[in-house]
Amino acid sequence: MSDDLKKRVKELIVRQLKLEVDPATIADDAPLFGDADGGLGLDSIDALELVLGVEKEFGIKVQDEEVGVKAFASVNALCEFVRQKAA
Amino acid sequence: MSFQPLPHAFPFRFADAVLERTGPAVGRVRASLTSNTEALRGAGFPAAILAELVAQSALLLQGGDAALGKKGFLAGISDFVVARLPAAGDVLTIDVAIAGRLGDTVKFDGVVTDAEGGAVARGSVTVKHGRA
Repeated sequence: MSDDLKKRVKELIVRQLKLEVDPATIADDAPLFGDADGGLGLDSIDALELVLGVEKEFGIKVQDEEVGVKAFASVNALCEFVRQKAA
Repeated sequence: MSFQPLPHAFPFRFADAVLERTGPAVGRVRASLTSNTEALRGAGFPAAILAELVAQSALLLQGGDAALGKKGFLAGISDFVVARLPAAGDVLTIDVAIAGRLGDTVKFDGVVTDAEGGAVARGSVTVKHGRA
C-alpha cells in the first residue's frame, strides 16, 4: 500500500479531528476507536467527522454505518477502503 | 406542528416555531426570547445555549410529526462562533442544514440571526439520536 496514501490519511485524521499529535506517530495498524493500547481512542462523533473528511479529501461517500466501522478500524483499513473506492 | 418531537420542556426548550421546512432537517426555525426564559435570568443567555438552540431546531425539523418524532441530544459542537449574545425581546431565526450522517449521529450546520438579519452565531452541532 502506498506510503503517500498512508501519509495523506494520517494527516487527514489529525486535521479533521484537530488532534494534537504528529501524524507520523499514528501506527498503521493501531485501532482508531476504543481504548486499546496504542489506539487513538476515537468515538462515534469522531467517526462522523472522518466520514466528512474522507468525502472532502477523496470524494468518497460513506453512507452505511457498518461500512464506516470497518473502514475506520485503522489507518491500513481506511487506506484499503479509499483504494477500493477509487479503483 | 406538534412539539412532541422535542424531549425538552420549558424552560429548556428554546425553539418555538418552524417557519420553513425544505427537507428532512433542513429549514428555518424561530426562537422568541422573553424575560421569562430561564436562561436569560441572572447572567444572561449563555453562548453555549445558542448551540443547544441549533440542535433543538434541527431535531424539530427532523421530527416534524409527533408520531414519527425523533429524540436526540446535543453531543458535539464545532467551529461555533458567537457574534453577540442575545437578549430578552430578541426574535431569532435559525437556519439549519444537514452536513453529514453516520448511523444515529448527525451533524448540522446552523446560522442564527436576529430580526434585523444581524449575525448572532454560526457553527456546527452534532446530535445523537436516542436518549443520553
